[in-house]
Amino acid sequence: MEVAYGSGDGDENASAKVSGQDASMGAIFEQKYRPWEGKLGPRWIRNYAIFRHHVYGIFTSKGHRQYHAFVRLSIVVIFLGALTPIAMLFLSSLFGGTEDELARMWGVNRYNLWGQVLGYFPRNLCFWPLLTAMVVGGMISDDRKNGTSAIYFSRPVTRTDYTIMKFVSVAVILGFVIIFSYVAYYTAAIVFRGEGWAYLVDTLPLFIAGLFCGILLVFTYTSIGLALSSISQSRFFSAIAFLSVIYGTKLVALLVDAQFDSSILYILSPYDCLAHIGQYLLGIELNYDHPLSLSIVSILLMNTISIGILTTRVSSLEVTRE
Amino acid sequence: MSTDTKIPTVLMENTSKWYDQVIGLNDVSLAIDGGVTGILGPNGAGKSTLFKLLVGRLKPSQGSVRLFGIDPWKDTSPYRRIGYVSESERLYDWMTAQDFVSTLARLHGMTRDEANERTEHVLGFVGLHDVRHKEIGKYSKGMRQRVKIAHALVHDPDLIILDEPLHGCDPIARTSIMNVIRELGSQGKTVLVSSHILEEIERITEQIVILHNGRLLALGNLHAIRGLLDKHPHRIMLTTDEPRKLASAFIGEKPIYGVRFPDEGKLEIQTNNLSEAHSVLPRVIVESKIAVSSIDNPDDNLESLLGYLVGGDT
Repeated sequence: MEVAYGSGDGDENASAKVSGQDASMGAIFEQKYRPWEGKLGPRWIRNYAIFRHHVYGIFTSKGHRQYHAFVRLSIVVIFLGALTPIAMLFLSSLFGGTEDELARMWGVNRYNLWGQVLGYFPRNLCFWPLLTAMVVGGMISDDRKNGTSAIYFSRPVTRTDYTIMKFVSVAVILGFVIIFSYVAYYTAAIVFRGEGWAYLVDTLPLFIAGLFCGILLVFTYTSIGLALSSISQSRFFSAIAFLSVIYGTKLVALLVDAQFDSSILYILSPYDCLAHIGQYLLGIELNYDHPLSLSIVSILLMNTISIGILTTRVSSLEVTRE
Repeated sequence: MSTDTKIPTVLMENTSKWYDQVIGLNDVSLAIDGGVTGILGPNGAGKSTLFKLLVGRLKPSQGSVRLFGIDPWKDTSPYRRIGYVSESERLYDWMTAQDFVSTLARLHGMTRDEANERTEHVLGFVGLHDVRHKEIGKYSKGMRQRVKIAHALVHDPDLIILDEPLHGCDPIARTSIMNVIRELGSQGKTVLVSSHILEEIERITEQIVILHNGRLLALGNLHAIRGLLDKHPHRIMLTTDEPRKLASAFIGEKPIYGVRFPDEGKLEIQTNNLSEAHSVLPRVIVESKIAVSSIDNPDDNLESLLGYLVGGDT
C-alpha cells in the first residue's frame, strides 16, 4: 500500500483529473448580419408601443412595464371597491320597488351619480388618490433615476410623444377604474331594474355631467401626479407628494373653514374644486361659500401649472447638464 | 447643371460644446461616411460629448451637427436610421432579451411579427439566440453589452454609434463584439465606435478620429496620419546577427538619417520618409548579403500615434 509519504515516486500511474465534468470549449454561432427589407410604421404605431408597454404591464410584466405585485393587487381591490354599489343595486332590484328606500339609497339619482365619482368617502379619501399615487409614482421618476428614458429618446420618439403617451397611459389606467366603474354602475342600474328609453332620456344628461366630472378628475390627478413624478428620481417621493397635495390642501382648508367659517381655501384643494364643479354640473346643492368661478379658475391653473412642469422637466430628461 | 454632392452620414462643422466653464468639445469639424471609424482619446477627451451631440441629446453651444443632412437636435427623423449604444444606458432587467429587443423594435414602428422575427435574427447575430428567453438581469456584463448592440441593430440602421461597447467584457465577448462590428462595417454601414483599448480599435479598423481635451487631433487612416507626423522619426526595427555591418550598409542611403542598436541582434533605422525607406530596404539587405530574420515598424501603431499627438511618450 502506498501512502502520501510512501516510498513510491508517484509516476507509476501518470494521470490526473481536473474536473468531474467535461468542460465546454465554446460555441460557434452564425455571425452573419442580414439587412431588413421591411418598412417601419408611422408615428401612431410607435406611440401605441409606448402605450401598450405601460398599460399592459398592469396585467403582465412579460414584455411590458413592471408594476409591483402590491400595486396590481391594490388596483384590483380599488376596482372591486368601486364596483360595490353595483352589488347593492342588484340587491335593491331584487327586494324593492322603484320608489323604495333601497332604490333611493343605491339607485341612479343626482347625488349618487356625483358620489360615484366625487364622493369623499371612500372614493376621494381612499380609492382615487391611492390609485393615482401607486400608478403614477414611478412613471417618469423611474426613467429619471435609471436613465431608461434614453431608450425612448434614441429612437424616433419625440419628447412630446413620450409625454403624451405617458399621460394617456396613466389616464387610461385611472379611467379604467374610475370611469369604467361609473359607467358600469349606470348601466347596471338600467339593466337590473329593466328601465326603458324614457328613463334613459331622463337620466342621460345627469350621467353625461357625471362622466365629464370623472374625466376632469382623471385628467387633473394625472397631470398633478405626472408633474410630481417628473421632478423626482424616486417613485416613493412622487406618490407621497401626490397624497400630500390631495390630503394636505383638503385638511388645511377644512381646518380654516371650521375655525373661520370660510371655504375660500378650498380653492387650493384639487378634490374640492372638482367636487364644487361637479355639484354645479349635476345640479345638487353647493356646500361651498366661495363662487364657482374661483374653483373653475383654480382647476384650470392647477392643470396648466402641472402640465407646464411636466413638459419642462421632460424636455431636460437625458440632456446632460443642459 | 446637376450637383451630385453626396451628403455625408455624419457632418460636424465648427462644433463646440461648453458645460459652464468646462469645454466638452472645442471647434470640431469632421465628416464620416461608411465603414468603421474608431473614436479615440483619453478620459475627458470629449468622446461621449461627441456621441451625445450626434444623437441629439446635447445641443451644440456653437457650430452645427448634421446626420444624413438633418439637425438631430431639432428633428428626430434621423433616429429611424441610427442605432445608439450608450455607455451608461440601463436595460429593463426584468425582461428577457427577446421581449426587450422586440419591445424596442416596436418603438421603431415594427409590427409584432416583424419585431419578433427581427429580434431573433439580431440576437442570433450577437450570439445570444440560445439564451434569448433568459431575464436580462441574469446576464453577464458581456451579454448585456451584446443585448445593447442587438437592440441598436434591430431596425437595421445605417449609422451605428457604439460608446465603449467593449468595456467590461471578457475576451470571448470582446472577440464576438469585434466580429459584429467588422461585419457591420463590411456591409457598408457607418459604424462609430469608441474605446480606451487601442489594440482593439486597431483590430477593428484603421479609420480613426483622435480627440484630446475636446479638440480634434487627427482624422483618417492610422498609417496615413502617422506618415504626416514628420517631426517624429519613423523607426524600422531589423533583427539580424550582424547589426553593425548592416547599419554601415544603410547609413549612406538618402532616406535614412540615423541608426541605433537598442538590443543585442537588433538594428533600429530612423527615417523621416517611411515609404521611401521601405523601398530601399530590400535592395540594401540583398546587396549586403546579411541575413535578416524580422522587419518591424514599432511606432506605426495607434499607441505610438496617440502618444505623439497628445504630447506624451510612447
